[in-house]
Formats: sequence, structure tokens, C-alpha cells
Amino acid sequence: MSGRVIVITSGKGGVGKTTASANIGTALAASGASVALVDMDIGLRNLDILMGLENRVVYNLVDVIEEKCKLRQALVKDKRLPNLNLLPAAQTRDKSAVNPEQMEKLCAELKQLFDYVILDSPAGIEGGFQSAIAGAEEAIVVTTPEMSAVRDADRVIGLLEAKKDAISQYRLVVNRIRPSMVATNDMMSVEDVLEILSVKLLGVVPEDEDIIVSTNKGEPIAGSENTRAGQAYRNIASRLRGDDVPFLDLSPVNDTWFNKIVKIFTPVRA
Amino acid sequence: MQVLNWFFRPKQGDARNKAKDRMRLMLIHDRLELPPDRLASLEEELIAVVSRYFEIDRQTTRFDLQQYDRRAALIANFPLLRSKS
Repeated sequence: MSGRVIVITSGKGGVGKTTASANIGTALAASGASVALVDMDIGLRNLDILMGLENRVVYNLVDVIEEKCKLRQALVKDKRLPNLNLLPAAQTRDKSAVNPEQMEKLCAELKQLFDYVILDSPAGIEGGFQSAIAGAEEAIVVTTPEMSAVRDADRVIGLLEAKKDAISQYRLVVNRIRPSMVATNDMMSVEDVLEILSVKLLGVVPEDEDIIVSTNKGEPIAGSENTRAGQAYRNIASRLRGDDVPFLDLSPVNDTWFNKIVKIFTPVRA
Repeated sequence: MQVLNWFFRPKQGDARNKAKDRMRLMLIHDRLELPPDRLASLEEELIAVVSRYFEIDRQTTRFDLQQYDRRAALIANFPLLRSKS
């Protein structure tokens, strides 16, 4: 077996890399694929929390790299999906504990065992990011429609382009879209961001309060049927698998009850 | 009804287009690693060179960077009035 190694990155922190990693991994596993989620944010471990697995972590990525344990011992099995596995980051070390050569070797080993190896990159473009992209063959760039996030995404795209021989494709996920603000011209749209970055779109995730709830419960939202963000992540997973899924209709109509009332009193505009 | 319309009118901001325009210019400079004053000095030099041969209509001179995919192009337009002897 030879799986696909995909890095999830953004440049800027706080745009939803870890949430995207947890949900894309969960959605891929739910569709039957075997998945390894690797938390590359050494020293700032978080992916275990989003997966609800923080109490089950024994060994971590650095232990595997330093051969203090076997890879199999460090992998934490998901509570619901037995084919979903987490390789946690070390919490008490820093990014220098792992170098790009070691990650290349580890990724080569992981893709023998899993259909998908999802690498959750740390923020920034320094050492930790370089290690995260070292073993990757594809990349997902996460951004929000904010200027600072788009600028950092552009920088990351430039760096991924320079590694074109190793990373065959990169695609964009636009996170936290607020359709009502786009409609009133207060926020950049997905199309605006795509036009500025000149990059292929993998998915659009609307701002959704249910994300906070799912994080607090430790259950990725991709597992819950009736949420827009969950549907968005399931669509992203389908597109990764090669299916042609239309993008979500994020017109602000069913945004909030307040907007619905506002709409009644607002003349229709083009 | 008029009052209600006014009251519930959505904000007609132009923050979206402002952000877009700022982003475009910023990313062109980022990608080329172009210092902010460099373009102005290039324009000055080019005008000086062309001005040795022609009289230029400075009112309608156009000089800016545009984005094509992930590349930038320099668009310069110097309308000529007459050649210099």
C-alpha cells in the first residue's frame, strides 16, 4: 500500500488548520479510508483535544523519531472510527526536536500503513513548517477572507511552488466565510480570495458556532449530520478522494433568523 | 414602510473592494520583493529617457503593475505629443 501524504498549512495562526485537519481526517476515515493524523505543532499540542483523545496520549511524534518507542505504540486510535489514528505532538519539546530528513523517513513509513497521512503544520514558515512539508506530496492551504490571512497564505503558496518537484499540487480551503457580510460588501468573497491568490479551490467552510461546541465536546463536526461546516468538511474529503462535488450554496438567506427578518424589509438587490 | 426600509437597510460598505485593491497591490510587491518607492523611481527614470526623444503628455501617462495569474506585468503608457529635434 502507498497512501497519500497531505500537509495542511496556512502561514498565519488561528485560521483553522487544526480544525481542518481533525475534520478532513475524520471525514476521510468515515468514508472507509485508513487515516493517520500527525500533529506537527511540537510544543503547542492541540489536535488531540479536538479529537477528544487528550487522555489517551502515551507516546508522541518525538518519541517515535528518537526511537524511544515503536510507531505503533505512539498511534492513538480514535474513539469512534477504528481506522482513524492520531500521532500526537510532544508538548514539552520544541520544533527543533524534528528535522525535515526525519519527517521524510517517517512519512515514507506512515504511507505504507495508511491510505491518507494528514500532517497538521504549525503556523509560521520556519523550521516547524519546513519539517511539516518535507514529507508531503500534496498540500492544503487554509485561509480566512481576511487580509492578513490571505497575505500569509500567498507567502506559503510561494514556498510550496518552490518545492514543485516534491509537492505535486496545492489547493485552497477558505474558512469562516460569513455570507451576510459578503452580501453587504463588508467582507471579501471566496471568488475575491481565489482571484487574488490565483489558486485552485478545494473547499469553502462557513463560519459556524457549532465548531466551538464540537471542539468543546472533542467530537469533530464532520461527524455530525446537520451542520453546514460538517457538510463542508465531508465535501472536502470527497473532493480529495476525487469526487466532483458542487460547492455549498452559501447565500445568506438561511443565515440567521434576524437576517431573515431584515430580508423581508430590504428591497432585493442584484 | 419607508422608515422601516431605512431602518433595516443593510450597510452598503466598500470594505470588500478596498480590501481587494489593497491586497492586489500588496501581494504584487510581496511576490517581487519590491520596495515601496522603487516603482516611482523607475517611472521617473523611464520618463526622463523617453523625454529625451519625445514630448510626453504627462496628464495621461499611465504606469502601474497588474496581476496575471501569480505573475505581475508592468504596464506603461506614455502618450507622445511630438518628437524632439
